Amino acid sequence: MGEASHRGVMQGIADVNADNDLDLTFEPVERDPAGDVDAYAPLGEDILATSRARHIIGCTTSWSRKEVIPTLERLNGALWYPVPYEGFEASDRIVYTHACPNQHLLPLLEHALGAHGRRGYLTGSNYIWGWEMNRLARQVTVAAGGEILGERYLPLGSTDVARIVAEIAALRPDFVLNQLIGPSQYEFIAEMAKLRQRDPHFASPRCPVLSCNLTECELPVMGDAADGIIAAGPWFRGMPARSAGRDRGHGFGSSFEVAAHDSVMMLARLLNNRPGAEDLPLSQLLSLPVAGQLGISARTHHTRLPVAIARVQDGAFSVIRALEPIDGDPYLTGARDMPRAALRVVT
Amino acid sequence: MRRHLRIPHLGGAVAVILHRPHATVAALSRQLEAIGLRTQCQWPELSPAVQAADYLFLDVDTAHDDQFPWPPGRAPMPTIALIGSEAPGRIEWLMNFGADAQILKPVGTAGVYSALLIARATFDARAEMNDQIDSLRTRLAQRQTVVRAVARLAARGKTEDAAFEQLRHMAMAWRVSFEEAAARIMDGPGGDKEVNDG
Repeated sequence: MGEASHRGVMQGIADVNADNDLDLTFEPVERDPAGDVDAYAPLGEDILATSRARHIIGCTTSWSRKEVIPTLERLNGALWYPVPYEGFEASDRIVYTHACPNQHLLPLLEHALGAHGRRGYLTGSNYIWGWEMNRLARQVTVAAGGEILGERYLPLGSTDVARIVAEIAALRPDFVLNQLIGPSQYEFIAEMAKLRQRDPHFASPRCPVLSCNLTECELPVMGDAADGIIAAGPWFRGMPARSAGRDRGHGFGSSFEVAAHDSVMMLARLLNNRPGAEDLPLSQLLSLPVAGQLGISARTHHTRLPVAIARVQDGAFSVIRALEPIDGDPYLTGARDMPRAALRVVT
Repeated sequence: MRRHLRIPHLGGAVAVILHRPHATVAALSRQLEAIGLRTQCQWPELSPAVQAADYLFLDVDTAHDDQFPWPPGRAPMPTIALIGSEAPGRIEWLMNFGADAQILKPVGTAGVYSALLIARATFDARAEMNDQIDSLRTRLAQRQTVVRAVARLAARGKTEDAAFEQLRHMAMAWRVSFEEAAARIMDGPGGDKEVNDG
């Protein structure tokens, strides 16, 4: 996933530097924390203290993002965070350029409750993403008149999924919301595929596994077992790729690359024709009218994103619903209207 | 005791900030608005409109009792203390004021949302506990009525235990509290007056 973000950023920089309409070029300053959560703050500090760079694009986990915030505050830096997360944050030093729950979980649940039924099962890895997503899913499902039949977690990295799959086999929910990550997720998907083969009740498309953060990055490792998973995200391969109002024209691999690429393009548009703007605090940069035109909210620092619901089929996503872009609502305090279906359904 | 957090509806809620114009107010307002609330900064006095606010933030460094149109501990909305100086006198004032949550200054982007949730939950729990205490106080005050009612029923030839049971059954049949049933017996025909006269 980090590699996908990196590819998107590097492509964005190449595009900015090749664009004659922009009066600037970007020069990357790269540091690789290699997933070591204690390395993010020092390396962020290194970038801000030893180079002229004020904007950092990076971080995958929420934990690493929170580690970097004090450094950003102390050294007047900004972070563009280009991956989906669980919401409930609005740092004035961060721009959140991938989806938060009203842009992934809520539309995904709305789809599942309508298309598959109201009885859900929740599972996840034991850390904040899984806990928060499932808390919200329970709240939304119950409010919609549904029920949660079970909820079970695994330690990070555990592949001991037998009990979860056995519970699902016994409870026969209408859908399973999966917030397991990494090897836990891969093992769970493989065991669910076996369950579908031996128990006709679970034959596809019944009881789909839902995911808010699955992208093309992780499909190859799961192989055929991933078929039938339903995911929500701002972009899936095959959808039109537009960035800052322009066609990108790249063969992006996943929404991770797209969001990272968009981050670079949006930053370039914010700085374009504004000498000295590279040293402005992020809050001032985002209060420029162009930020609103790019879909960045000066109030929440979250971005307006399209929402697509897609089903995995033969190792790729097939979009089943494409919804109009909606603003990020990190604290879910806005109007609870669900996004409207776009006129054109992308397939 | 396991507590379940009910997430309050914060979209469009009004937060009043009692603090002199300052970077703290700007940072706090920014964060409250990012969460979805509307903010009003009032200084040095609270306007009467504060009674309709959903949350009140106050500056403990400068606050004094005269600023608030209610007695200490009786704020009609959840209150959140902004603590700068940790001088013991200020903390003592804060304890008497009875804020529902606190944030240390300088205010950053972290801490505001959790303070809102904790303040609302603490305020609601306190209100519920006050209701229970009021109800218990009322029942305590009616102890004498209960004793008299039991004595009166016992005077008709029952043991005290049997009279007590009879009163319990009456309360259940009338679907009122034990104390209310006792009061009805004493108010009814053959009540205190008749007993006294007799």
